[in-house]
Amino acid sequence: MISRIFKPKIITLPNGKEVKQPRSMLPLVVVVFLVFTYFSIQLTGFNLTVLITRINHFFFILGEMIPPRFAYMNRVWDPLLDTLKMSLLGSAIGAALAFPAAILAASNIVKSKIIVHLTRLILSAVRTLPTLIVALIATFVLGLGTLAGTVAIAVFTFAYIGKQLYEIIETVDMGAYEAMEAIGIKKIPAFWLAIAPQIMPVYISTALFCLEGNVRHAAILGWVGAGGIGLILNQRIQFRDYSAVGMILLALLITVTLIEALSHFIRRRLT
Amino acid sequence: MISFEHVTKVYPSGVKALDDVTLNFDQGEFVAIIGRSGAGKSTLIRAINKMHDITDGTLTVDGIPVRQLKGKSLRAFRHEIGMIFQSFNLVNRTTVIKNVLAARVPKMSFFRVLFGLFHKEDKIAALTALDKVGILEKAYVRVDQLSGGQQQRVALARTLVQNPKIILADEPVAALDPVTAKQVMDYFLNINRELGISILINIHHVELALEYADRIVGIRDGVVLFDGPPDQVSEDVIHQIYGGETEAEIV
Repeated sequence: MISRIFKPKIITLPNGKEVKQPRSMLPLVVVVFLVFTYFSIQLTGFNLTVLITRINHFFFILGEMIPPRFAYMNRVWDPLLDTLKMSLLGSAIGAALAFPAAILAASNIVKSKIIVHLTRLILSAVRTLPTLIVALIATFVLGLGTLAGTVAIAVFTFAYIGKQLYEIIETVDMGAYEAMEAIGIKKIPAFWLAIAPQIMPVYISTALFCLEGNVRHAAILGWVGAGGIGLILNQRIQFRDYSAVGMILLALLITVTLIEALSHFIRRRLT
Repeated sequence: MISFEHVTKVYPSGVKALDDVTLNFDQGEFVAIIGRSGAGKSTLIRAINKMHDITDGTLTVDGIPVRQLKGKSLRAFRHEIGMIFQSFNLVNRTTVIKNVLAARVPKMSFFRVLFGLFHKEDKIAALTALDKVGILEKAYVRVDQLSGGQQQRVALARTLVQNPKIILADEPVAALDPVTAKQVMDYFLNINRELGISILINIHHVELALEYADRIVGIRDGVVLFDGPPDQVSEDVIHQIYGGETEAEIV
């Protein structure tokens, strides 16, 4: 169809044979790209002059953060531990709930199309909810505090791991499972014996990867009142207490780096 | 005794894998089923333990009508029949003995399965079976460390622990080299002679079939073309089963 609009170039060989060289689409792509960029700028009110004139405010805040006020650290420990507890517990609950859900969503294990598609629908519906929104709703239901944050993280982890895991289950080698069925073993024990050993390393690895992200997610959940370090971060920013903000961010940076290094180390050993 | 009476299997795609098959197998027979790929060998074997459903006719094993089995009765029925696969179908990421112990799982509570709590007599049964197929020393080795021939012997041990009356083998030696294939066939023969277990085997290698089996069943396009002892398999029979063009390569 495109070749009808952009007629291909015809190369003729000395012996008279013809080869059609398709026209490059690049000029068209560039034009479309520029048009979209123009309308994006119009729509979002992006203004380069504001960006340039105000950038010094960023460096001002950054300058205020350095050096961080180390004495503030004794006020950081508790919310930091809350954040860690929220992400650990939330990840563990979410990962545990994701396991049965992933089995129900795997079409090679569950033969009922209704169950498979219903489970997948639930998983993708839950996944579309941003963690911050879930946390906000959770604070309405459960009150302010770390419980709301834990629930929000568990919900996100459940949907993320559930989706990853059912896709892994569907690519698994079914030979051993077939043999289990031929021996006369029920579905769930057969799954546990033949398929769980194959998916276990990826399952644990995905859960750890999710935990890494959850520590970062948990840090902002305090914004909506769901407990943890975000609470004091929000508060200090509003008081323009930038040296305390610097301390909070430094503590967070070190914690996240440590967790990621540890999780990375374990995940490398798994696969 | 396994009895096929006018058994037909039509796949949803319309392919007729079994076409009015009538066959009887007595207890203790060693039967080789030969035919080209897609001739219906696999369907024939897998119909017996209902891994594939048949669409018409009657199939009974020791008087039990296979078509009517489902759920618990099907699982109990399958437990009495061993099955061996071309690709061994073992759990690669775990040890040999755990694979063999799977044969005892139908009789265990889920709690015990979940935590791998096997009784001592189950372990002894598993190890005895491994000894019977000559790989006792590999009991605690991970399956993915073993060669293909050793893996098929693990599968055979797993089947023996089921204490079956019949063993169905779907191309058990197709993935093995000729020497290993003969070793595995020797184990089948031993099991058949010593324990009186019926063996039904699908096999590509006609010469192995003729060497080991008491009875040859030749099928083509789902129809049984030959049924008789190996010494009656003439070149003409092979020609019928496999079609003209490749006979030189087979014999």
